[in-house]
Amino acid sequence: MSERADAAAGIDPRGPRFGAGITAVLLLAVVALGALGLVVPALILLAALTALFAWGAFAGIRRHPWGALFRALVRPHLGPPAAVEDPRPPTFAQGVGLVVAGAGVVLGLAGLAPAVPIAAAAAFAAAFLNAVFGLCLGCQLYLLLVRAGLTRRASGAA
Amino acid sequence: MDPVNALAVVSALVVAATAAGLLWRARTGRLPTRAEPAAGTDLAAIAVAHGTLGREATLVQFSTEYCAPCRATSRTLGELASAGVGITHVEIDLSGNPELARRFGILQTPTTFVLDGAGLQRARIGGAPRMRELHALLDELTGAGHVGAR
Repeated sequence: MSERADAAAGIDPRGPRFGAGITAVLLLAVVALGALGLVVPALILLAALTALFAWGAFAGIRRHPWGALFRALVRPHLGPPAAVEDPRPPTFAQGVGLVVAGAGVVLGLAGLAPAVPIAAAAAFAAAFLNAVFGLCLGCQLYLLLVRAGLTRRASGAA
Repeated sequence: MDPVNALAVVSALVVAATAAGLLWRARTGRLPTRAEPAAGTDLAAIAVAHGTLGREATLVQFSTEYCAPCRATSRTLGELASAGVGITHVEIDLSGNPELARRFGILQTPTTFVLDGAGLQRARIGGAPRMRELHALLDELTGAGHVGAR
């Protein structure tokens, strides 16, 4: 229980949403590049975004570059947040982004060019919904993993 | 694909995502208006295993670990319960418990069930509850007008 309390020391919920907004725009650019037939630039951009997702998933949402950007450029102009949020759900959502974008990169490198804009479109939908509506699709995915019996309770495990 | 088609694809993607978001926002957290007597006592038994039943109403919230709205909902429902009018809040973590999730058909978290004083299900709310609608139902169950008071 105390471990969970430490991990859940809150973050400003507007940070991840700001980051999701930047990510959404960049993912849309991947879709555009793919649609224009510019496969290599699309793949490079998607690979860069995949690396960012990996950073967020493993280092935690707090240490994400977009989070640093938010704190430096946006946060000083805002009042305090109405409430702080647990950083673990947005960190988990970065992991989901990593899987989706990563699949696009891997399939693209294997020669399946359409996979790049398609994966980017899926990741865009999730990032856009998060930025604009505050909906965390990746978090809802966790429930499906639970129902499939693929999870266990993290806190309390030895 | 030429630039015009590419633009059309990108625009369609943005429009579709926006429509999905608006649809979600219109539907999330609503309380259905018809009473749902099904699975009533089943739920009460589960609630008792994880907490206590309220004299007037019980708010049974199913959550998962990586769920931002679950935390916020837990706070608001906890506040409702501690207002001291015979309402309790029972939160159940599904994370290690797929059996429960399947049994009650939980498709999103948070999912909150409102039980009345007899332990029967009166509402099922997907997503963070709309507080005005929840207050109205709780007022009805407690027979008082003070739950929703500011």
